[in-house]
Amino acid sequence: MGQQTGVITGKVTGENGALAGATVFIPGTGYGTQSGADGSYHIAAPEGTYTVAATFVGYTRTDLPHIVVKQEAPTVLDIRLNVASAQLKEITVSYGKQQAREVTGAVATVDAGQLQDMPVMQFGQQLQGKVAGVQVSQYSGQPGRGIGFIVRGAASFYSSNQPLFVIDGTPITGSINNINPAEIESFSFLKDASATSLYGSRAANGVVLITTKHARSGAPKVEFSAYYGLQKIPSGKLPKVMNARQFATFMKERGEDGLKYEPGYKVSDDYHAAYDNPDQYGKGTNWYKLMTRTAPIQRYDLTVQSAREHSSSTVILGYQEQQGVIINNGTKLFSARFNQDISLSDNKLKLGFNLAPSYRIDHNNRMSTDGVGGLFERFFEASPLLSPYNEDGSFRRDVYSPGMVSYINPLATYELTNDDYHTTRILGNGYLNYEFLPGLILKTNLGIDKGAETRKYFQSGEVAGTKGQTKGVSSAVDNGSWTAEANLVYHKTFFDDHEIEVLAGYSAQKFSTYSNNLTGLGFSSDDLPYLNNATNITGGSGASAYSLLSYIGRINYNFRKRYLLSAALRRDGSSRFGIDRQWGNFPSISAGWVISDEKFMQHIRGLDFLKIRASYGITGNNFFGNYDPQATIGTYYYNFNEVITQGQTINRLANNDLRWERNKQLDIGLELSVLHNRINITYDYYHKLTDGLIQQRAIPVSSGFSQIIYNVGELKMWGHEIGINTKNLEGKLTWNTSLSLSFDRNLITNLVDPGFIRRNNTVTSDYYRQQVGHHLGEFYGFVFLGLYKDAEDLAQSAKYQSTPANPNGSSDVGTIKVKDINNDGVIDDVNDRTFIGDPTPTFTGGLVNTFSYKGFDLNIDMTYSVGGKILNAAKWAYQTNMDGSRVPLAAALDHWRSTEDPGSGIYPRTKTGTTAIGRSVNTQWIEDGSYLAAKNISLGYTVPVRNSLLSTLRVYFSVQQAFVLTGYSGMNPEVNVGGADQTAGVGIDENAYPIPRTFSLGFTTTFK
Amino acid sequence: MKKSLPVIALIALLTVSCSKDFIRLTPEDSYTAENFYKTEAQFRSAVVAAYAPLRDVLVNDYFTSEMHSDNSLYQPIPGNRGTAIVQRENISDFTNTSTNAYANATWQHSYTGISRCNIVIDRLAAANFADSVKAGLDGQVKFLRALNYFKLVRLYGGVPLFLHEIAKAEDAFRERATEEEVYQQIISDAKDAIRELKPPAKFPQTGEATKGAATLLLAEVYMVQKKWSEAATLLNTLPAMGYDLNSDYADAFSPANKNSRESIFEIQYLGGDATGSTPNVLSFHFLPRSTDTRLLTGISINNTGTGGWNTPSSDLIRAFEPGDKRLDASIGIIEGTYNASNYFTYSSIQPVTGYTPSPGKTGVPYIKKYLHAPLPATTGSSDDFPVYRFSDALLLLAESLNEQGKSGEALVPLNKVRTRAGLPDITETNSDKLRDIIFHERRVELAFENHRWTDLLRTGRALQVINDFGKVIKQEQPFLSSDAYVIDQHNLLFPIPQPEVDINTKMTQNPGYF
Repeated sequence: MGQQTGVITGKVTGENGALAGATVFIPGTGYGTQSGADGSYHIAAPEGTYTVAATFVGYTRTDLPHIVVKQEAPTVLDIRLNVASAQLKEITVSYGKQQAREVTGAVATVDAGQLQDMPVMQFGQQLQGKVAGVQVSQYSGQPGRGIGFIVRGAASFYSSNQPLFVIDGTPITGSINNINPAEIESFSFLKDASATSLYGSRAANGVVLITTKHARSGAPKVEFSAYYGLQKIPSGKLPKVMNARQFATFMKERGEDGLKYEPGYKVSDDYHAAYDNPDQYGKGTNWYKLMTRTAPIQRYDLTVQSAREHSSSTVILGYQEQQGVIINNGTKLFSARFNQDISLSDNKLKLGFNLAPSYRIDHNNRMSTDGVGGLFERFFEASPLLSPYNEDGSFRRDVYSPGMVSYINPLATYELTNDDYHTTRILGNGYLNYEFLPGLILKTNLGIDKGAETRKYFQSGEVAGTKGQTKGVSSAVDNGSWTAEANLVYHKTFFDDHEIEVLAGYSAQKFSTYSNNLTGLGFSSDDLPYLNNATNITGGSGASAYSLLSYIGRINYNFRKRYLLSAALRRDGSSRFGIDRQWGNFPSISAGWVISDEKFMQHIRGLDFLKIRASYGITGNNFFGNYDPQATIGTYYYNFNEVITQGQTINRLANNDLRWERNKQLDIGLELSVLHNRINITYDYYHKLTDGLIQQRAIPVSSGFSQIIYNVGELKMWGHEIGINTKNLEGKLTWNTSLSLSFDRNLITNLVDPGFIRRNNTVTSDYYRQQVGHHLGEFYGFVFLGLYKDAEDLAQSAKYQSTPANPNGSSDVGTIKVKDINNDGVIDDVNDRTFIGDPTPTFTGGLVNTFSYKGFDLNIDMTYSVGGKILNAAKWAYQTNMDGSRVPLAAALDHWRSTEDPGSGIYPRTKTGTTAIGRSVNTQWIEDGSYLAAKNISLGYTVPVRNSLLSTLRVYFSVQQAFVLTGYSGMNPEVNVGGADQTAGVGIDENAYPIPRTFSLGFTTTFK
Repeated sequence: MKKSLPVIALIALLTVSCSKDFIRLTPEDSYTAENFYKTEAQFRSAVVAAYAPLRDVLVNDYFTSEMHSDNSLYQPIPGNRGTAIVQRENISDFTNTSTNAYANATWQHSYTGISRCNIVIDRLAAANFADSVKAGLDGQVKFLRALNYFKLVRLYGGVPLFLHEIAKAEDAFRERATEEEVYQQIISDAKDAIRELKPPAKFPQTGEATKGAATLLLAEVYMVQKKWSEAATLLNTLPAMGYDLNSDYADAFSPANKNSRESIFEIQYLGGDATGSTPNVLSFHFLPRSTDTRLLTGISINNTGTGGWNTPSSDLIRAFEPGDKRLDASIGIIEGTYNASNYFTYSSIQPVTGYTPSPGKTGVPYIKKYLHAPLPATTGSSDDFPVYRFSDALLLLAESLNEQGKSGEALVPLNKVRTRAGLPDITETNSDKLRDIIFHERRVELAFENHRWTDLLRTGRALQVINDFGKVIKQEQPFLSSDAYVIDQHNLLFPIPQPEVDINTKMTQNPGYF
């Protein structure tokens, strides 16, 4: 008492006038406030002379020294803040925030605000091509699904290669599909070992930190946004299969050729009846048209934010719905998020809760649409000669014409199967931070990720594999994880120039799941789709868990923010590893040098910022099965005199020596800003060596087992990443460009005996081989040499499966000729296949151009990939079947019929028993997968509102997947059979749910 | 700072105290090798698990041991040249290579069974229950291990000998043993089993392996080794264990008459949809492909994706003597029409004896032994599959006696089999002629029981019989390729599965295969 109190007051302004919610404070005292809606502020403080500081997100902190406060009169101090250069922006990093200029690791950030015009259900779609080194692929168009992330070509043979997603500090364990993009404020992509090492054993594939929206001080804000779009499958690249007349012609010719060339060939009466007169048919049934549609997509989000001096709250409610472009299929998501932050005790105590419940309804969204034999493929294989309906209007069951393999009506399959999958998810965390002493803060965080899923599946017996066998499934999954973390952070600046931050803490996480599954058969009718109408019910249940216990530590040091050093260590113990190998250490060190701050650089004009940085560290990968190294006991039934007897014995070999998959990574980076920050360039070179790759190692089956989980080898990955952001035009017309470019390379440097891993033991789907000295997923097969032209060519060339008793084997004039690689005069499945293509692109990236003029803005968002090969299995294994067992591409009509009529030279003859080699992987299947895709083009207009209710209103129109420029003949150059799982191959097209083109109209408005 | 100390202490305490247990997790919903194999019940269960692969061997072995002979072939389906069809046809045609997934599956599943036996044999030593119980379990798995190795050594030659549980990856990479070594092991295991197992306590039996099963197994091994008198001695012990022929030949295959007096060992099946049921799919695998097999199976089954195999050859049908009751018990004719997709529409069931097709119809022979309509469910039947029958023992006995020059004695067991088949006694005592007669008798008595290929090998007749058969059958069935049934010495062994050769540098391929 006794000290007199004075007042400082004034207004905070920024580039466009008053700044609401700016923080104005007197450093080191606890006196401070936030500016009001008009930018004004008011601080009461004891008399004295102070430095007053003001901060606002996106602006440079301003410190104004020598401000005198007296009791007599208020001190008026208006503060103008300048927009921060990119380097001064505070970004989210692992376990904290840092100014971009101080970061010594490879971290890329994306502000979600820029992505709002992309009407999508998954944030992954918005991120395509945005960040150098982060490859986001849409390998399938299934509603609300089908997105894969790969950071820096991350690859593992067996473990997942998806990055770790951390939402508001809590690593999530469930799917990312349930997250409403509208809740997200920003993304940080942690790419190198320095940035990620505090996530230790889960960091090898990179880490994506997601920060959700938290209200900032200022006037309460209510925002509503909505869009509605129509999706349609682009027709340009659809497989052009034969129509009814074409197919009948093909089959007729096939029969004629059989009679002409094959002794004993018989043509049955039904075959004659169906095909002898192709002219009786027109186009026939277009199954594709029947099974696809123009489908709506829509989303509505309401955001309510308010913040006062010591508390802020954000509520976001969302509803989104995407109907499938395939009939009877779609997804809906109801989501909410409540973010509450409170500070007490002069901001020493901060606590908050984030809670995000969501509920998703997938309808027929888990059916096997994708892949070989998938339902999408079936659209093109059903006979065009047949109507989907019987004369009485009911569905016809069999839709194969004479000579075809028996197919069940795909339209009926889609209409008479109902598979409802409901996912409830609660994502939440609570934190409490307490500053004991100036600079010493205890941070605690408790996060949960809880999921509950139920499935109700019912398929009519009309379309079941066994006619009449109606089937119902009821299943449920309950899963969840919790994460508890506590750490101490000490932050101090010594002697003005030495800034140090020390962090030490621990973390524990546990995930557990319980599931059950009931299958009902023997329904008396299709009327009641519930299992209590089934006469036979079988089922099971199971449980699983994993846990992770960790200690973390980090020291950041800088001298004048010019010389930067950081060292970090995480020690992880994981339940997933062999009992003696559970613990692993994941250290990293890094350094940065802001060269532009050096005196000798000051005279270089136009150079705003230059930093070089380097890091080295080790991270791990534990994304694989929970008990994989343990020998489990499986159940095998037998019966003795009709009494079911359960047998149990080991079904999996143990590997007590299984150790971490370690990822040693070097990164050298450069950040450069020139011409008044109009050009910002980030460059990174990385080199990763992953050893102890975890994979199921194939072992001789004579051991009684076919595989054992094993540290099988070593993979080297390296690459260059370039990100360039330019402000091409400023003023009335602005034009910004953002280019990302990644060159990712990989090489398998070591593998256990025999030095390669096959995909499988077939020749038809053994698409690739992982082999020492080769790149990941290189395709493996025969080398296509065209067709045997004539008898002479046949006589002089090696023939498939020829034997002394059958000198032509299964080859003949007009069949596919492949290279005799081992020159033994015979083509066989073992010695005549080789590496035939590399799926790894030369470079990939994205290009975003943004224009604005007055109220208008135009955004053109493109991605590209150059040089990778695609294996078009869908086309060659199925759509060109010359045996008449399914409907081929129309182009196959032009096939070999005789030496005089050899056709296009691409499609072989139809002779029985000669066509199999065409369905074995060969170079004919390999295509260039380069593409340039306009992922989104949007045009927006900010409507000038003079209205008492609205404060802003922006409307926009956008086209997603506007065009894809590619020479690839399949539907989607981003396709991959295993999705983002590179274990299942890279660049393999086995067909997938098509990616629609979407036209949408949307608006965003805020209320006063 | 003082306030924070307890908090920090608490955190530290929590961390340290629970760290060990917290990350030490084992599956909750299954045992692991660490906590299983403790009780007698668990060992019994592990033995049961060793029986289960018999079914997996069988669904492949009807290709490798029956269709891979002159007894049966398959329904052509030129419109479907998928590998699942073509590779199976190749086994029947003798054009299979080392990449043939189905021939390779016989190898794999035989070894799966062996591995499960090894686990039991190794772990029994440390088990804590009565030795008499242990002996019964050890005997069963020794029999099963011997049975599997016997199959392997005859089909593939000298194979790797796995006799212990796999503890680490390196254990899985073994080189081939010689045929001699494999046979030594089989004999040793079979002798252990004979010593440890008891004869059937009653009929019908339980279906478990018995002293009788091990005895017949060892006798057959001796037959291969031409140790005729040892074989005969063993075979002569069987009647005292209670075995005899059923009065009706067909009874041996009836699901109503499982594990009967005639059965020495059979693979157990149980149809139905209940959890743990083990239906026999052979019932409809062995029928012509049809979108509806109801006429034969009693319930609607679409076997277009699974059927069409093991169609009795005309040569086999002709091999039955007039009046042999076994023909109609073994083979039937399903009459109908093929459509262009080569699917068969069934119209009527006909007897094979004296069959002539109705106008406009085709008659397709099918195996009746494992088809007893109506099937309990679309997943398969409850028909057991015989591995060893008493008639097999009788014919081996006849053969062993004849080879010892006791052709007169040999007629007794031979005629016992013939009498039941409704055929007149054989009186031939010229041992060369009698050898052919007994061989012929085995063919018709044991048709479709997966003995044909190994009998051809054992008697040294394979090259002659198969090449001769090929010439005839290719005339009759023009869909067969010119190299079908053209075999030489190298075809007498199956190729070692290519993946085994690829991943194991110690593995060598059989001669004549790439």
